[in-house]
Amino acid sequence: MWAYVVNLAVLISINAILAVTLNFILGYAGIFSIAHALFFGVGAYTATFVAMKLGAGFLSATAAGMALAALISLALALPALRVRGEYFVAASLGLQMLAITVFTEWKSVTGGIGGLTNIPPARILGFEITQPEHFLVLSLICLILIILIIRALVRSSFGRSLKAIRDDETAAWACGKNVAVIKTTAVVVSSALAAVAGSLYAFYLSFINVESFVLETSIQLMAMVIIGGTATLIGPLLGTILILLLPAGLSYLPYLPPTEIGSIQQIAYGLAMVLLMIYRPGGLWGFQEKPKARESGTP
Amino acid sequence: MSQGGEILLEATGVAKTFGGLKAVDDVSFSLRAGIITTLVGPNGAGKTTLFNLMTGHLAPDRGEVTWLGKSILGLPHWKIARLGIGRSFQDLKLFANMTVEENIETFTERGSWLWQSGGASARSARRARVDATLAATGLDDKRDARAVDLAYAERKFLSLARIMASGARLWLLDEPASGLDRGSYERFLSLLRNEVREGVTICIIEHNLDIVQGISDRIAFLDQGRLLAEGDPKTILSDPALAAIYFGERAA
Repeated sequence: MWAYVVNLAVLISINAILAVTLNFILGYAGIFSIAHALFFGVGAYTATFVAMKLGAGFLSATAAGMALAALISLALALPALRVRGEYFVAASLGLQMLAITVFTEWKSVTGGIGGLTNIPPARILGFEITQPEHFLVLSLICLILIILIIRALVRSSFGRSLKAIRDDETAAWACGKNVAVIKTTAVVVSSALAAVAGSLYAFYLSFINVESFVLETSIQLMAMVIIGGTATLIGPLLGTILILLLPAGLSYLPYLPPTEIGSIQQIAYGLAMVLLMIYRPGGLWGFQEKPKARESGTP
Repeated sequence: MSQGGEILLEATGVAKTFGGLKAVDDVSFSLRAGIITTLVGPNGAGKTTLFNLMTGHLAPDRGEVTWLGKSILGLPHWKIARLGIGRSFQDLKLFANMTVEENIETFTERGSWLWQSGGASARSARRARVDATLAATGLDDKRDARAVDLAYAERKFLSLARIMASGARLWLLDEPASGLDRGSYERFLSLLRNEVREGVTICIIEHNLDIVQGISDRIAFLDQGRLLAEGDPKTILSDPALAAIYFGERAA
């Protein structure tokens, strides 16, 4: 039981990193990216490659993953963010689909469908992390560091710029903001930090394959952010915990046949989303619109 | 009334066509320092389009736009804003989910990178400017309210406060006083007058002729995309031909 709880906690902290970094662009900048799983994957594959081929430790493998994720996201963001929001959604979807093909077909690097096995344990300053409890500490440290970075960014002038662009892009231009540069920077930061989750994931499981980095992962991450509450620091954490605990919780209900849990889970997601949109459109932790707020003060 | 100092922003022979509609048709128009110029004309005269052309929000089909004698054609509008040209919008375009304070603070921060240049001293100068602007516009006690939750007049003042805090030298205001009650409107005008005394130059699009008369140093009259007349308020407002156009009795 203890091992199960620790495993769940590690997976929650890794997913929380993804949700928090996605929220940085989705919640604060209003950039809807469907390619977040791709940067998760780039982090995982790069860290694995660097660790297996070059014998790198956790820190340098993670740094390599972050650098490559930053570069790829730059290639996506530079052209795609010059146009309006819908196009970015389409471009990120395209890149995500392309990435799945690359992850599947580039067998010499990614291991193809079968993936990569026997990834060495994470090594930090000569210390090998083999115990799940120790890994939990490592992933929690990463999560906390990333939350602190995001918190500092959203409270800074950069965060205000993001929120300004989200609320009214034209007014942001009119106050002298180079909107394209700001959005691109946000996407690069978010993608590079998402790669940390990929590295953790690969070292933790010591096995990765393309199934963890598909479109469904991107959509589930989006659900975590939206259900938890966009543009808040706590919301994505709450959303991650809820979405990862839901299947775990369902499997403990004695009267549910195990074969049906998958479809019941889908129904529960759907129902939760609909109820949320009706009763708490800002998400569980999100800002709730005051009644009559929009009507007040018309001339 | 003063006719103003040097020319800050100048459009020469600018034209813009949307489909078959000549929104702005060969207009030459300049804004001189230290005065309030009002842009009047019936709906659809091309006033807002002219603003958009002069601030880089739209590119003219023809003509030239200069700032202090240098061409600004082709510059992205964020760069034009950084030259010191602030503008407000008819629909205000407030940052709805940000607080009043954040709305104003954002306009004091020009940098697009992860941090602002200038360090701690520049930061405290920006803070001071935000506080002074909040006090001047009477939004002090609303500093933590979200823009979307403000009353109508407060939104108008916030729109102005953002430009004030930006330190812009030239303000282009698109119907800034429309819908204000008498008291707010008096406060609004005295605020503008104060700023002009401090060295700001203002151009206003306005429909209310009482306001136009009360505030203008100079008036430009636009109709169907053409600049029909420009001059001191007395001459323009007493011209029966312009009045006929303005009130819809178009001369043949």
